[in-house]
Amino acid sequence: MTNYLRLWLASLRYSMVRTMMFRFDFLLWTLVEIAWISVNLLLIQVIYSYTDSIAGWNKYEMLLLVGTSMLLQRLLMGFFWTNLFEIGRNVRSGQFDFYLTQPGQPLFMVSTRKLDPDGLANAIVAAGVVCYAAHKLGIVPTFGGIALYIALIAVGLVVHYSLLLLLASLTFWIVKTEGIEGSYFSVAESSRLPRSAFKSLATNVVFVYALPAVVVSNVPADALLGRLSWPHIAWMAGLALGWFALAAAVFHRGIRRYTSASS
Amino acid sequence: MSLLRKYAHIFAVGLQGALVYRWNFFIRGAFSLVHLCLIFILWGAAYSGVDRMGGFDVRQTLTYFIVVLALQFIVGAFNEDFQIGEEIRNGLINQFLLKPVNYFGYRLSLFASARLVSGLLVFVPLLLAAPWFADQLTFPDDPWRWRIPVGIVAMILSAALQFTIAFCFGLLAFWFLEIQGFVILSYAIETCLGGSIFPLDLLPRGVFAVAQYLPFPYQMYFPAAILTGRIPSLEVALRGLAIQALWVVAAMVFAHLLWARGLRKHTAVGG
Repeated sequence: MTNYLRLWLASLRYSMVRTMMFRFDFLLWTLVEIAWISVNLLLIQVIYSYTDSIAGWNKYEMLLLVGTSMLLQRLLMGFFWTNLFEIGRNVRSGQFDFYLTQPGQPLFMVSTRKLDPDGLANAIVAAGVVCYAAHKLGIVPTFGGIALYIALIAVGLVVHYSLLLLLASLTFWIVKTEGIEGSYFSVAESSRLPRSAFKSLATNVVFVYALPAVVVSNVPADALLGRLSWPHIAWMAGLALGWFALAAAVFHRGIRRYTSASS
Repeated sequence: MSLLRKYAHIFAVGLQGALVYRWNFFIRGAFSLVHLCLIFILWGAAYSGVDRMGGFDVRQTLTYFIVVLALQFIVGAFNEDFQIGEEIRNGLINQFLLKPVNYFGYRLSLFASARLVSGLLVFVPLLLAAPWFADQLTFPDDPWRWRIPVGIVAMILSAALQFTIAFCFGLLAFWFLEIQGFVILSYAIETCLGGSIFPLDLLPRGVFAVAQYLPFPYQMYFPAAILTGRIPSLEVALRGLAIQALWVVAAMVFAHLLWARGLRKHTAVGG
């Protein structure tokens, strides 16, 4: 365990050094993500200039939900995105060998090699949006409330990670996986909507029960808004366990299929 | 004549190229439909307490988003910027410096053929999904009087503007190794101020008035707004058309300058 922590800290140090070398890149990508956050905030601003409620959520509640959804996505970008995204390229080129020969769990080695400080910087911006919304709503969370929110975000991050790992692992079967990014963003887009907005049976089945993104952003937001119930927490925990088990199983089956490339 | 034949040939080659990537097209089409579904859920919920936003009811707004989706495939630049950047980086453009083929014209011909293919193919997923959204569709009365003719001109100019802006972003590869950051940054600005996130007329009046002088609304919002009745009269549409034409010319001049300057920096390596 401490061994893995040491490895992770080494990756962290390496990523920071890399970022210092490419400062302009860091600034540019931070700007890119701030632009996307602003687009989302502008959408809320525009809609709420005509109405007071979207599916029973007022403007600042909605802001809190969107902030939570963005926080989850930026954390995923910061910690795992590049790593998982590179699985496809490495499998195609045969570079994946490199991970299998390292002294550690392949899944751990693959997932933690690089961190993106720009994603992490924007997680702070997203957290700022959540704090601002909570402040506007007059929420004064207790220490326990904050701890619960952070724990739920961590659980949510596991779900998003599993989802992306599952998609990235398909690369062991389908060599050309260009749709990965698109399919992840399609699912993630649903996480900005309140669960109560899904009215028809079909959309409920697809977006609330089959795909996890809506629940995973709604439950932490509900927790801050003081509307949480134990079944919700159990649901979150179940989603994290289920999706992680599925993704890890698919990844390990994929490795068995991996036959390296060239020479 | 031979000039026309040259680019017509490139267009024909482009058609074949575009048809090869059918699979990618359908993946993109499927994601667009998921996106449309989520738009319906969001705006449906937003409209549940109010009849009109900015004078438009829920069906008019949903129709606007359907038209925007179709336009993305008919006039939208998709990955032209990346392709152009890639061709500069790996030296493929060197051949155009030696041959009597204009690179802008070459890429424009390919863009036109790719849009013809994706613009026709997009009606396959749209027709398949039609039973589910058909009762939301609503268009202004008497569209042939001016909306469709003016709308078609606006679409052609939109395509030209989309392509030229993408071309300029591709040319950044003369100066930068990675253009992805710039492209995604501009994509955020273009989708938002282009009206793909929300109809621009829902912005506060003053902001909307200023936005009309920017190039972005003419990439997407303007033709969609003509076709769906969000632009009230022919006079307003013609004024928009004039601004749109100015932006197309400005973008092309800028692209030309960038190309000329970029070539000075460019070094062709290898054979």
